[in-house]
Formats: sequence, structure tokens, C-alpha cells
Amino acid sequence: MRRIRIPNYLIVGLLLLLGGVAGFFSVHFGQPPPQERTLTITAHQYAYDPPILRVNRGDRVTIRLVAEDVTHGFYLEGYDLDAKVRPENPTFWVRHPSQGDEFEEVEEISFVANRTGKFRYRCSNTCGYMHPFMQGELIVSPNYLYPSSIGMSLGLLVGMLWIFRRTPPGGRS
Amino acid sequence: MATPDRIAPTIAPEETVERPWRFDLFARWPWLKRLVRMRSFQFLVILPNLFMFYFFLITALFGTPIGNRNIIIVFVWILWWFVLIAVLVPFGSRVWCTVCPLPFFGDWLQRRALIRVREGKSPGTQNRFFGLNKRWPKRLSNIWLQNFGFLFLATFSALLVTRPMVSMILFGIMIVLAAGLALVYRLRTFCNYVCPISGFLSLYAMTSTVELRSVDKDECLRCKSKSCIRGSDKGWACPWNVYMGKLDRNNYCGLCFECVKSCPNDNISLFARPFATSDVLIKGYDEVWKASIMLVLALSYSVVLLGPWGQFKDWANISEVGDWGGFGIYAGGQALLALVIFPALYYLSIRLAKWYARADAISTKELFLKYSYMLVPMGLLAWIAFSVPLLMVNGSYIISVSSDPLGWGMDLFGTAEFPWTPLWPEWVPYMQVPILLAGFYYGLRGLHKVGRQLFSDPVQLHRSLIPPAVLLVGVTLVFLKLFIG
Repeated sequence: MRRIRIPNYLIVGLLLLLGGVAGFFSVHFGQPPPQERTLTITAHQYAYDPPILRVNRGDRVTIRLVAEDVTHGFYLEGYDLDAKVRPENPTFWVRHPSQGDEFEEVEEISFVANRTGKFRYRCSNTCGYMHPFMQGELIVSPNYLYPSSIGMSLGLLVGMLWIFRRTPPGGRS
Repeated sequence: MATPDRIAPTIAPEETVERPWRFDLFARWPWLKRLVRMRSFQFLVILPNLFMFYFFLITALFGTPIGNRNIIIVFVWILWWFVLIAVLVPFGSRVWCTVCPLPFFGDWLQRRALIRVREGKSPGTQNRFFGLNKRWPKRLSNIWLQNFGFLFLATFSALLVTRPMVSMILFGIMIVLAAGLALVYRLRTFCNYVCPISGFLSLYAMTSTVELRSVDKDECLRCKSKSCIRGSDKGWACPWNVYMGKLDRNNYCGLCFECVKSCPNDNISLFARPFATSDVLIKGYDEVWKASIMLVLALSYSVVLLGPWGQFKDWANISEVGDWGGFGIYAGGQALLALVIFPALYYLSIRLAKWYARADAISTKELFLKYSYMLVPMGLLAWIAFSVPLLMVNGSYIISVSSDPLGWGMDLFGTAEFPWTPLWPEWVPYMQVPILLAGFYYGLRGLHKVGRQLFSDPVQLHRSLIPPAVLLVGVTLVFLKLFIG
């Protein structure tokens, strides 16, 4: 019987896919029920405190913003939120960038974390030299992309080592 | 470029492993050849860059000190950096060196000519050069100075990329140094051995999809005049001191195209080739450490500049915060990681590879040098992944500073008030993942290609690949953690 030789790219592609799918499902099940989360974020040159927020999909997140030194911004990517907060001010100004430039004064902002993944919140108000690098992270679990990427990397490693075995060497030793 | 600490390849790649495809761009597009053969070509491409560069220096002197409102910071460290690392290097090799304005005055001081060629006799050439024409010391004829220079500058990157004046001082020093060295030493000594940008361009140009090579190497061997390296009445002696008959890597060819003009046999051409597949030979420890430094710096910048941790930013931001103890930890930690810890991990993977493959016929040194190529595509793609958010998040500053380059409140094109608008920032991680995976893939392929040249036994070959491949996947996972984890 004639043996069928599977092309190299198919092996690598399949293992890549398999790794990605395995990574995806490793975090897909067993998610906790949604919760209410109220957080106070303090902005100061050139970071936020806490620097990383971890929530779960479906959580209602309420954020109060405080500026410690100068006026800072809070642009949360993926959630259409942009805020400005001044020092010694219990309120701050928020807008939805997709809806225009109008800011409204609020005491807190609230949204449902319905998009999963890692999102940065960045200062949107020039606050000093290092302003472009002032940012924090909102991680909404399950962060599918991360375990999927780990799975794909491992799949790629296994796939490439597999096809390397099938390629004859040509060296001297 | 012959240097004492570079080992010669023990076998010619073409003897054992098939060469990747390449096609002759000059044959395909004769106008391109006509263009680069024009005597005025390099002058004409440098000139606009030179004007722009001096305009940037002026904006640094007289403009706002706020980086994101001054054109020098926005155009150099957001636009230029991204274009250089993500477009010019992978698709144009060292084409930045073709248009770089930094050595312009040095070239002029040596040649006393902007366009024409001077025939005559200067040491080793058929051209008349001015200046002392001394030889650069052999001990420094490598990229170690560039390695340490880049690492030193990178330590101050938080200041460099946010303070216009710091950028201006750096560029000013580079211009003066390039001119000074040109007066004392032969050819482009500054570019070859000192310029910190040139150092990483040399390494990452190995991956590029273009190469300048002789069409027929035998023709070069038969050639008596060696005009490419000695010069002629048609072209200057190669400023990079490269002999085209032996050129087998992009590293030290600055794409000035003088050899295309001077070759009496019309034997030099520009070729297209696949990405990260052709030049896979690392020849010296200086190049290995360059690969390590670049990889670690991409990692370090991802933590310090793009990470959420304020402590690291405070440590790096020494002129504003003044925490010298913290700065010491940051600078020392970065240097230790780049110069000692990562090379030690890589060395360990090589020792393991040698032991596991029972590769007694191959020295650890040879394996250490040659397998390090895997770090080249990995490093380049990690830098590109790092640079994507710089452009997508802060790219809108390009629009606003174009109208108000000095931050004085001008509105030249009506876009000065253009608000900071990140471009699809939530999609950045989805772009970074395939870029990193591509780096990992090309790193593995390079590793295998080099391994195939070294081993004849398939089991030995396969075993020797596993430890460095595991190190490479570890590097990929660390970047994934930082970018998306």
C-alpha cells in the first residue's frame, strides 16, 4: 500500500490550530458568576494605582477616578470611555469618543465588562514628559487570546520539530 | 569586513543546503539600475533628509520641551522608528544608510565633492581622499563599540524619546563624531564601527528581502581592478570597505551603490529574496551579543515604557524623579540581563544541545556562534511587535505636530488641534501575536537551516535543535505575557 505523505505546512498548520483551540478551551469553562466591582483608580505621574485591574466577563465595573498631582486622562480602549480628572476634585469628566467630544461631569463611571481580553487605559491629557507611556491594564477574564497564543506557540514548536525530523541534514559531522 | 574575532565559515552554505530563490531587480527594472548609477543619486536622496533633519534640530532647540508636541520627538521616535524597524529593515536591508544624513559632512570632508568622483591615490584606493586616512585599530574593527553604545543610549531611552533637547544633543554628537572620525580615519569608520544605529541595522539587515551582490562571483575573482573596493573614475572606493567578490551577507553593506557605478564588468545587482532565509551565518561574538542586547532591550522597553508599572518608569525617568538608586537598579539590571544572564541562558542551551546530540565533532564555540542566528528574526519581529502600539496609539500626534511643529500654537495645515486619537488600540494584541509567532517561526527555520549545514546525522541534528528551540519558545512566551497576558 502506498504511504501518504502529509505536507509539512499542513502538519504545522494543524498543530498550530490544535494548540490554539486547546488554549482557548483551557479557560472557557468554569467562569464565576458576574459580580459588582467598585474600584478607585488613582492617577499620578506617570502611572495608575492599581496598575492592573482584573475582572471577569459580565462583571459590572464601577470606577472612581482620583488625580494626585496634575490633570490626567483615562482612555479605556475597547470600552469607548475617555475621562479627565483634576486633583482635589471629587468629580471628573467623561465622554464616549465614538459619540463626540462632549464631556459630562460625573462622580463615577460604570460599565459591564462584556469584552474579554487585555485592554489598556492610558492618560489622554498631556501630563508631563513621560505622558505617552502612562498606562494601566484592565484584564477581563477569560482572556482567550493569551492561552490560545501559548497553545499556538507550543503547537508551532512541536510542528516544526516534527518536520525537521523529516528533512535530511546536509552537514559535515 | 575581516575582523580577528570572527571565525570563517567552515563550509560554504551552497555546498550542502539549497539556496533560496532570488531574482535580479536590476534586470527586471532597468530604470532602477539607471537611477542608482546616476552620480548624483545618493546626494539627491540624502538632501531632503538633511534639510528635514536640521529642521528637527532647530525645533528641538527652539520648540516646546514637551515631547509629544515637538516634531523631533513625534517624527523621529514614533514615525521614523516604526518605518525603520517594520518596513525599511525587513524590506530594504540597510537602505536607511543610503539616505542617512549623519555622515554627510564626514563624506564631504573626505571627498571634497558632493557628486563627482576624484581619481588619485589614497591608501588602498584609486580615489583621492582628504584627511589623515588612518586605519581604524584592528581591535575595534567589530561591532562591540556599537553594542555598548546602543546599550548605554538605551539606558537613557526614557529621556531620549521624551525630551527634544536630549535627542538633539545625541544627534549633534553623532554628526560631530562622524565628521571628526572621517577626518582622521579612512572611509566610513563612524558608520562601520561606532554608530549605534548602524550596529542593529547590520544585524537585522540579515533578514531583509533584498541584497546587493555580484551577479557572478567568478567574474569578481577574474577582475583585476577590484574597483568595488578600490574605486575608479566612475565610483568611490566602497565607503564600507566591502569587496563584492566575497560579500555573502547584508550586515556591512550600506547600500550606497558606489560599486554599481564603479564595477567595470557591470556585475553588481540588487536581488529580491525571501525573508530571513538567506544570510544565516553569524560570524562573531560581537554579533551574538548584539542579538542578545536587542532582544533584551525589546523586552525591557516593553516592561518599562509600555508596561503598567510606575516604579520602573520612575527609575528610568532619572532627570525628573532623581532616584539614582532606582536608576542604578534599572540600568544595572538591564545591562546584566543583556550582557550576562541572557547570553548565559543561551550558552546553557548550546551546551545542552551539544551534550544531547553527542556532537563531539563540533566545538561549543561554533555551535554557540552559528545557532545564535535564531535570535535575529525573533528579535526583529519582537521589536516590530513592540513598535506597533507606538504608532497606532500615538500616531495621531503626527497629524497635530505637522501643523504646529514647534508647539508654539501655529496651525500651518489646519490640523494643529487634531485630538489624540488612538487607532484601533484594542486590536493591537491581535496584531502582535502573529508578528511574534512569525518571529518564532523564522527563528526556528533559521536554526534548522544552520543545523543542516553542521550535521550529517539526522538524529544528532534533531537533538541539537531541541534545547535552543525551547529557549526560543520561552522568549516568545515572555513577550506574549507582556503584550497580551
